[in-house]
Amino acid sequence: MSGLGPLTSRELKKWYRNPISLFTGLIQPLFWLVLFGSAFSKISDFGPAILDGAPNYITYILGGVLTIIGLFTALFSGVNLIFDRRLGVLGRFLIAPIRRSSIVFAKIFSSSFRILINAAILIAAALIIPNGLKFVHGFTVLDALILVTAVILTSLIFSSIFTTIAVRITRPDTIFGIINLVNLPLLFVSYAMFPPDLMAGWLSDMAKYNPVSWSAETIRTVIINGSLSASQAYHVSVWLGGLAALAAFLLTLTYFVSEKEIRE
Amino acid sequence: MASIIKTEDLTKVYNGRVKALDKLNIEIEKGEIYGLLGPNGAGKTTTINLLVTRIYPTSGTAIVNGFDIRKNSLDIRRTIGVVPQDLTTDEDLTGIENLKLVSRFYDVPQAEAEERINRLISMVNLDDAKDRLVRQYSGGMRKRLELIAGLVNDPEILFLDEPTLGLDVTTRNHMWQYVKEIQEKLDVTIILTSHYLEEVDALSDRISIIDHGKVMATGTSEELKSNLRGDVIQVTVKSENDVEKVMAFPESVDSKLTEPNTVRLKVSNSDEELPKLISYINANSIQITKLSVQKPSLDDVFLEITGKDIRKEDPADYRQVMFNMRRLRR
Repeated sequence: MSGLGPLTSRELKKWYRNPISLFTGLIQPLFWLVLFGSAFSKISDFGPAILDGAPNYITYILGGVLTIIGLFTALFSGVNLIFDRRLGVLGRFLIAPIRRSSIVFAKIFSSSFRILINAAILIAAALIIPNGLKFVHGFTVLDALILVTAVILTSLIFSSIFTTIAVRITRPDTIFGIINLVNLPLLFVSYAMFPPDLMAGWLSDMAKYNPVSWSAETIRTVIINGSLSASQAYHVSVWLGGLAALAAFLLTLTYFVSEKEIRE
Repeated sequence: MASIIKTEDLTKVYNGRVKALDKLNIEIEKGEIYGLLGPNGAGKTTTINLLVTRIYPTSGTAIVNGFDIRKNSLDIRRTIGVVPQDLTTDEDLTGIENLKLVSRFYDVPQAEAEERINRLISMVNLDDAKDRLVRQYSGGMRKRLELIAGLVNDPEILFLDEPTLGLDVTTRNHMWQYVKEIQEKLDVTIILTSHYLEEVDALSDRISIIDHGKVMATGTSEELKSNLRGDVIQVTVKSENDVEKVMAFPESVDSKLTEPNTVRLKVSNSDEELPKLISYINANSIQITKLSVQKPSLDDVFLEITGKDIRKEDPADYRQVMFNMRRLRR
């Protein structure tokens, strides 16, 4: 798929050359941790049971915040496609002998890469801050792999949805409207921030089917428990399997839609 | 000469209603500059978009450089260069980065790409600006960069869609020189569409005038003008008595008295008719004070064929053009 390499590096170049977007990207994860972590720190007063055995709320929500950071970056992954269209750059790509899908996949992969960088910074910050992230039961290489896989799959899922939406959209405000419509439901109808026991029954029932919950719960399980018990390993593999299947389906869909439908 | 592009009843219908191209048949020879002229909505840009495989034909086809536009779009894209009407370079990258990006689309080996890119940059005098962000370019610089972006893959055929739209006259003349230089030095076939008749006239070896998606006339600028059979000879006579005699010149197609002593004779070909007129004047002892010949311009040809005055035409997508102009003028 020639075109994917140069187009992805173009995206990343534009990203790291913009000091403001780089700076906000680094600071935003800290805001999430410090503000959200402090605002809801009293949840730990309910006892460690409600936090699935996490030593503090930061350790508990880290899986959620990692997922949310990925989700929010991914939601915006289609925006640059619309600007490329508006500014005419897309025209140059469409007359080049490259696969049309590489134009879209460049956006997906570059946003996934940015998400990984942000995730690494977030974890480092969580380890540094007082009463922050604590690996009470250790953290193995396998745990790290599971964590990274969950973050990547989540970002692939949502960036393929939102770049596919952007394939035919010509106005940025359209996609901003859609992002505003879905971001809060995706966040709050999930286990990213709150334990299921603290949620209304119907909300908790719905949150079960949200891929944001699958990713948050996966990361949370490995962070809190280190080496997993048989039943924990089973749950993690179901969640990861669900994320992988959904990502595979959406990436395939993105491929066909972008090959066929992308225009100026 | 072998034809490098040949369309066969090329037809494009948009949304099942709008017939943009109607069985278009053109043949373009290797090495020539071929101009496509036509009023708005005539099908110029649609023709280019079909030939560069940006869109797919409704029926008919075209062979570009030996490849069928219906079947071998990737092969065609590899061997052609395109300079679209819109600006397509990335403002957030430098000039050279833009060109390198394009070269990677065509899998040009890195050393070769660098050598070629530097040569092209020098050709259009962008050496000093190549490492600046395109955002900081002037309108003329931006257009020059667009022009060479279409040449990075060393194409056999270069498509120029309204290459000087929105540029001032001086910058436009510079662009023409660059286009001519490119054609001479790089041995590339150029297909050009333009709104400016003088541009097509100055650059093209052959011209097709298209309207309503059909070819109305094809030929060199000279051929098109002589086909019009409408050279004008103006004769100013000394005394009013001679007016009648001049108007009776047997070879004229039409004659009119435009000013008290001036007769406007329309003849099919002034080169042949003028000597005859002079002998007629001598034979009839007419005393003349002034004799002038006007050859038809391409404007006249265009007006005759399409019934429209191209100078009164607005560019097709006005909004887009204004948008581009704003960006060019910053």
